Amino acid sequence: MSNEEIINKLKPIITTYAPVSDALDNLNEESDFIKDLNINSANLVDIILDVEEEFGITIDNTSMEKMLTVSASIEVIKEKLSEK
Amino acid sequence: MIGNDLVDLDLAKMQSNWRRKGYLDKIFTPAEQELINTSNGADETVWILWSMKEAVYKIHNRITGVRNFAPTSLACCLTQSNDKITGLVCIGDQIYFTETTTSASYVHTIAAPLFNQLSNIVIEIYAEPNHPIDYKSLAPGCVSHHGRYLALVYG
Repeated sequence: MSNEEIINKLKPIITTYAPVSDALDNLNEESDFIKDLNINSANLVDIILDVEEEFGITIDNTSMEKMLTVSASIEVIKEKLSEK
Repeated sequence: MIGNDLVDLDLAKMQSNWRRKGYLDKIFTPAEQELINTSNGADETVWILWSMKEAVYKIHNRITGVRNFAPTSLACCLTQSNDKITGLVCIGDQIYFTETTTSASYVHTIAAPLFNQLSNIVIEIYAEPNHPIDYKSLAPGCVSHHGRYLALVYG
């Protein structure tokens, strides 16, 4: 799966939890969930659970630690997909 | 260095469904989940433990310079007395001390690396629309903003 395909699947998930903003409109690999998108940290868990469902993967806590940006999330998703 | 975290309970109720399958496992250690599951007020216990982790993370992150999302690495213990909810949070080989106050509408935790520091912390909690216009000029030691509330602490 390409980065673009992954972002397209991530976008609706992220939109569920992020307040409306320019940063959300311009969502890209550099976007930071908390600093740029203003997502509440308690909702990061929802994003991770939604990602697990959407991609059919399990994200262990060590991988979850890194998932503060779109690019870090893409890396984790790719790694977990390759292990399937 | 001090930390603080406020949870607006009305907003938390709307924003977060902690009963969702898998949710607690990603945030809380088995011992913390046991506290939640055996508590009389599970909702309140979830947000007390969460605010303890957040308040401590704000200190630990500044000390170590490490930014991550690893809520289960912050292990909470509660030592509840009559009117105060005090606790310990361990991360790696560091221990932090916390004190939590609750009301019908929010949960607020202060945290410090030394127990004696807690009693010196001054807490100001503002409800909308009474937030100070330029709170940064007040130079608080830590800021927490959630829902209707702004919490500033000085230590």
